Amino acid sequence: MDVAINGPKIVFTLPFFGGINVTESITHSWIVLLVVTGVCYWLTKDLSVQNPSKKQIVAEKLVLMARDLLDSNMGKQWRGYLPYIGTILAFSFLSSVMSVAGLRSPTADFSVTLAMALVTFVLIEYNFFKSKGFLGFFTRLTEPVIVMTPMNIISEVATPLSLALRHFGNIASGAVITALVYGALASLSRVILGWIPNTFIANIPVFQVGLPAVLSIYFDLFSSAIQAYIFCMLTMANIAGTAD
Amino acid sequence: MEFLEFFTIDVWTMIFTWVNMFILYKVVKKLLLKPVMNVLNQRENEVKKIYDDANEANEKAASLEKEYSEKMAQARDEAGEIIKQATLSAQKREKDIIDSANQQAAAITKRAETEIEQERKKAYRNIKDEISDISVAIAEKMVQREIKSEDHEALIKQFIENVGEA
Repeated sequence: MDVAINGPKIVFTLPFFGGINVTESITHSWIVLLVVTGVCYWLTKDLSVQNPSKKQIVAEKLVLMARDLLDSNMGKQWRGYLPYIGTILAFSFLSSVMSVAGLRSPTADFSVTLAMALVTFVLIEYNFFKSKGFLGFFTRLTEPVIVMTPMNIISEVATPLSLALRHFGNIASGAVITALVYGALASLSRVILGWIPNTFIANIPVFQVGLPAVLSIYFDLFSSAIQAYIFCMLTMANIAGTAD
Repeated sequence: MEFLEFFTIDVWTMIFTWVNMFILYKVVKKLLLKPVMNVLNQRENEVKKIYDDANEANEKAASLEKEYSEKMAQARDEAGEIIKQATLSAQKREKDIIDSANQQAAAITKRAETEIEQERKKAYRNIKDEISDISVAIAEKMVQREIKSEDHEALIKQFIENVGEA
């Protein structure tokens, strides 16, 4: 059995601009979009001020948790960023966690995480511009001494790059390790059961039962949640840090 | 099947991701945050309103209680005043009645005394006339002679007056 570690599969190609490749990353993002839209619609369908239903309590709890997270990390004056934080939290977590269903995570694609990190980067720069003014926006790079300017520029660029690479690396490596372990366990099964003359029975990958599930809890659930959380925390910290 | 490189930057994937993120942003904002925050704010306002109403009702009740107790005190004072006035006027009336009764009684007594005095004087005059007549008759018989009654009457009157004074 071959263990193939591939990039995102090209689902179809749009015939514009010499062919736009629509990959799994994009179609799976659409699945996330549909799920989020459906869940949001369902949760907030019949909101009531006095008699909240169970799903409304869930919706309120979700919103309040996100708001408390933002309040404690950024402060109340940044509440306008709640929709953005909620967006990347939901998109990052659901994109990563869909590997549980055997779908390739959009966040295991560097282009996707880079796109997310660049939005955060633009917001960071925008807020620097807003708080420091046109001149301060550039002079802050020469501090504390002018010699540090190249370092400052590198560290500025490193922010989105590290965000994107961290997220991509964690999710993609999880997928790679899971694929490798699956392949190894299939081979192990074949070696152990190879003596059985019936080829159907001999090819049952018995060792694929069990261990991958444990790995999946770490790589799919835990790592997905942690990476989404880290991405949001760093985004909030960097945006709020522009006001200092 | 065609695949992209495992580690590559695909511009179209990035553009699609931005579009997806924008749509997701709108969805999260319009479908989740806005309605839920609306409900939370409304609930907060309602709770605040309930507290305000309760405070207002409490204040109103307290002011009403104060007003009523003031009115009660006032009414008690008024009742006391009325009773006092009534007692005073009754006492005055009693005194008037007694005074007028006393006056009338005094007037009656005085008139009675006057009448008695007049009766007494009248009786006295009658008796005096009769006595003078009787005396004249007695004197006629005793002296057996005719005397001029005019001369003697003066004498007798003087005598009787002396008797009356005695």
